[in-house]
Amino acid sequence: MTGTSAHAFVDDRPGDGIFRVRRAAFVEPGLFEREMERIFQRCWNYICHDSQLGERGRYVRGTVGRYPVFAIRGLDGTIRCFHDSCPHRGSMLTRGRAGVQPTITCRYHGWAFNADGKCIRVRGRDTGYSPEALDRLGTDLKPVARVASYRGFVFACIDPDAEDLETFLGDARPFIDLMADQSERGMEVLKGESTYVMRANWKLQTENSTDGYHVATVHRNFAHTVRQRETLSGGADDARAKTEASRILDLESIRSGGYDVGNGHMINWSDRGSPEAAPLNEAREAITARFGEGKARWMIDRGRTVTIFPNFFLNDVASTCIRLWRPIAVDLTEIDTWCLAPVGETAEARRARIRKYEDFFLPSSLAVPDDVRAMEVAHSGSLAAGGDAWNDLALGYATMVAGADEAARELGARPLYSNPGRESETPFYAFWREWRRRMDGR
Amino acid sequence: MSGFDAALTAEAAELLYREAWHLDRREWEVWLALYTDDAVFWAPAIAGDEGFSEDPDNDVSLIYLDRPGLEARIFRIEGRDSFASAPLPHTAHVVSNVRATEAGDAEIEVSATWLVNSFRRTDPPILRAGRYAYTLRRVEAGLAIARKTVYVLDDRIVGPIDIFNI
Repeated sequence: MTGTSAHAFVDDRPGDGIFRVRRAAFVEPGLFEREMERIFQRCWNYICHDSQLGERGRYVRGTVGRYPVFAIRGLDGTIRCFHDSCPHRGSMLTRGRAGVQPTITCRYHGWAFNADGKCIRVRGRDTGYSPEALDRLGTDLKPVARVASYRGFVFACIDPDAEDLETFLGDARPFIDLMADQSERGMEVLKGESTYVMRANWKLQTENSTDGYHVATVHRNFAHTVRQRETLSGGADDARAKTEASRILDLESIRSGGYDVGNGHMINWSDRGSPEAAPLNEAREAITARFGEGKARWMIDRGRTVTIFPNFFLNDVASTCIRLWRPIAVDLTEIDTWCLAPVGETAEARRARIRKYEDFFLPSSLAVPDDVRAMEVAHSGSLAAGGDAWNDLALGYATMVAGADEAARELGARPLYSNPGRESETPFYAFWREWRRRMDGR
Repeated sequence: MSGFDAALTAEAAELLYREAWHLDRREWEVWLALYTDDAVFWAPAIAGDEGFSEDPDNDVSLIYLDRPGLEARIFRIEGRDSFASAPLPHTAHVVSNVRATEAGDAEIEVSATWLVNSFRRTDPPILRAGRYAYTLRRVEAGLAIARKTVYVLDDRIVGPIDIFNI
């Protein structure tokens, strides 16, 4: 596979109105190494939300491709990111997925570092090592080349020459802001996380995250089940306890759409059938006063998914979710999910947000298991004929327009392409063009 | 944990075993009838490296359902329209280490350990394990489940989790 251009997998002919992806792109084992090197080791990788790094010395483990790293709040309050590897002989330094280690001591031979990464102890420094040897080997923690935060979302990149984070996020930023701006007091990741396994290629999750076409088929069961529950409950007293199923079942009655916002990032949105069911509805007045009607409409009345290249998304449709999917092998992906909530929302809104999150975003929910199944059988089926078949992403091509549509203009967003209607595959072009560009080293 | 109440434990264990029996045989309505109308079914999520979520109103749980929520799960399973849930796996619940204590107000607290093996041809076999904490209530027909807490120990979850495989 090495030496084969990624152009062999993505057939992009704008002049002819053709965009196709060869299924081998999902199942060909030889592509995986190249994806690690050319995508994950050069891209910005999401690590954590800054609310998870509250006090000094608090760390969260992460990965950049296959490199173990950790982000830590330093003694000076700065968030840094280091390779999770002792400069002495390479042992991982973190003790768990997250915790507080103001002094990071390597459990193997006892070297110790402060939360800023400075070496504070080498056992036998004066007796066993010459100063020249210590200079040569370098005793401080090795920082990851780049670490940056955008609106509380912390990313790391091991390519010192990469574009800065803001440039990378580009025109996805106004959509990220719709999550970050939900409370003047900031946002927080709630306690209770989940990691689950998908036996399928990671790019199926990237596509699924922005795929509005599967919602009416895969998730009609979610919609029917929550409707059944509401009937059995005899209707909830609090509107927020209701789940708005209409966005799934009555697509023709709502506005929806999808955007290619460049750099491989994709947006999918649908108006809410019943905005009063949104936990954020209680903040409507304050949000409208701060941001105006257009942005308030986007934040409260419109559900959105923001898929950031290559493996991260923010979803504010059923509830507010951060999801990160880690490629482990060509056919194995680990997925982390967290609930992100506005600091200071009322107890009722918080409870409703959590229940809606549990209904949709967990491997124990009414939706994610069905998605995982859909992606696993898409992977298995793509093995047919050795992957030598094409996904012709023609759905919605005729309605795609260059630039912003009316809804995007309300937000001041600048998509490269817009599509009115979420049942279109044209936003995928963003991902596949970026995937091809990076895989071919351009 | 004070003295072992063998008679009470035997009475409580019989209900836990009956619940496992009905779940493994997919007798959903009979299973649900073991629960009180105000029952709560709670599976906390993993929190950090060693803990679980604690407060369902402020933390994320894997599952937090009242009785209509449980009925809706049956609707989802029986409707056979959930991509993940048809065909259903075969399951075998093993419930052990049962210990029951009187908690007053006609309620009994029960702790137990569970293993569930799930098999479905297209998937790898799944073995899950955890602990149960029950609150049982004395009702006319005997004992009923007023609250069931399921601690799922898996911190890297393989396959879907539902009421029938934990």
